[in-house]
Amino acid sequence: MELLQEMSELLQKGKAKKVKALVQQALDEGVDPKEILNEGLLSGMMIIGGKFKNNEVFVPEVLVAARAMNAGLSILEPKLVEVGNEPVGRAVIGTVQGDLHDIGKNLVCMMFKGAGFEVCDLGVDVSSDAFIDKAEEMHADVIGMSALLSTTMCQMQACIDRLKERGLREKYIVMIGGAPVTDDFARQIGADYYTPDAASAAETARSVVLEKKSA
Amino acid sequence: MTPRENLLHLLRREGYETVPVEFMLCPSLEKSFQEEIGGPGADYMEYFGMPWRRVGELIPEDTDITRFYPYYDEIKDNMEIDEWGVGHESSPTSMHMTKMHHPLEDAEEVEEIESYPIPVYTEEKNVWVKDRVKELHEKGLASVGNMQCTIWETAWYIRGMENLMMDMLSDEELAEAVFDMVEKMSTDRALIYAKAGVDILYLGDDIGMQHSIMMSEEMYSQWLYPRLKRLISKVKEVRPDIIVIYHSCGYIEPFINYLIDAGIDVLNPIQAECMEFKEIYEKYGDRISFHGTIGTQTVMPFGTPEEVKENVWGNLDIAGEKGGLMVAPTHLLEPEVPWANILAYAEACREYKKK
Repeated sequence: MELLQEMSELLQKGKAKKVKALVQQALDEGVDPKEILNEGLLSGMMIIGGKFKNNEVFVPEVLVAARAMNAGLSILEPKLVEVGNEPVGRAVIGTVQGDLHDIGKNLVCMMFKGAGFEVCDLGVDVSSDAFIDKAEEMHADVIGMSALLSTTMCQMQACIDRLKERGLREKYIVMIGGAPVTDDFARQIGADYYTPDAASAAETARSVVLEKKSA
Repeated sequence: MTPRENLLHLLRREGYETVPVEFMLCPSLEKSFQEEIGGPGADYMEYFGMPWRRVGELIPEDTDITRFYPYYDEIKDNMEIDEWGVGHESSPTSMHMTKMHHPLEDAEEVEEIESYPIPVYTEEKNVWVKDRVKELHEKGLASVGNMQCTIWETAWYIRGMENLMMDMLSDEELAEAVFDMVEKMSTDRALIYAKAGVDILYLGDDIGMQHSIMMSEEMYSQWLYPRLKRLISKVKEVRPDIIVIYHSCGYIEPFINYLIDAGIDVLNPIQAECMEFKEIYEKYGDRISFHGTIGTQTVMPFGTPEEVKENVWGNLDIAGEKGGLMVAPTHLLEPEVPWANILAYAEACREYKKK
């Protein structure tokens, strides 16, 4: 559909006002809100995510695209609720306890949203129990933890240990990321996935959750 | 040679006699140094014979930070406002780290930027810097004017990184106003340090992430490169002999040629986890020197003392006998770094035998 194609392209260029206007136009023309979401907004965000992963665009381009997506979602979300749209999955995301860095984590939240997830951004300095309690409350699929410091990486292990103590480890897909984090570290602490950038995180989460749900 | 002369020769790639030891400790390591090694009140920089000292922070004309209060809804008890008006909120679990609050986060109009009470720095208020430089030189130590947040970081601290990045793409006038304001302030600061006679001007703005650059080359060359180049050229006009060190964490290889062209002399820290020192040295080592290269995400916290030593010696070998590498940990040493590794680093510097 031409209108949705245009919406996706404008989103990639970060044109928030125009995207919002096109979402309104599409709704006025009676286009299915789910189609607007998937074909107009998320398709654009996923293209930006792919380009980000390949170093074709960088953080600023992702930020303006996410702002345009959010502008569109601000009027689309109530309609999605009306038609009973289910998100791809639900994720609680935050920076671990003792760590106050949030730029990387914010990007991950944007990318998850752009991949069709309902996201709860718990902010920074998040305790293990706060991650788990929120995941339980919102019936999350994914717990995503971020750390910038080698000092705070150990909190990721603490959260996984706490999940085990509470008998909930198998219930969640645990994903980790952040500057000092590596694949080896993820294996060492028993996390399910490490991804090197925000776009790969969302892509991995989407495919794993969809696979899990279709199993 | 005094430690100062040795260091300046090394940074200018004119040979050196001894390998300088240099690192910075977080408050908890500084405490354990005094408790276990140096004794009460001991200064670790003196204890380890470090060759340089920062001359100290410049004093702005107006030191009353209450002028920034209107930019915040609430000034919490655990929040401090710095001289630029940036808020730093501490948390009981976050040690020496703070969460930043940006005074111009909500600004929508250029006028709001232009009326921001950015500090003004003058030579008159900072005549003490000359005395401090003289005092250090008399002790045989190099003097450093520290401005590791120069343009980009200072601007993002004041405006918020996400906002400023978006402004650069969609509200150029606003971004321009923020950068102009900061460039003017930073140029004034740099010139005060330079005229006071510091040996080294330590600039820096993070422009790299772990695996990629923070913004496109196009955006960098539009917004940041010309401003850095202008600042350095003004400094070198008054002090052609000054050594300009530039810091950026992360992977920044695509920007190194821009930095060299802007006039930097030394690049810090060549984060070991993000860039291969050997490769960087081979490409750029004839034009600039380096400070850092010993990984603080890997070998310093998690390696063995032997691995630390091997890293130090390996990198010194790459730089060779003319110098060009002030080998040091790439970042402030954080609480989890064992003392055995810090001592191994210092020993490795002292024990190094040139090839």
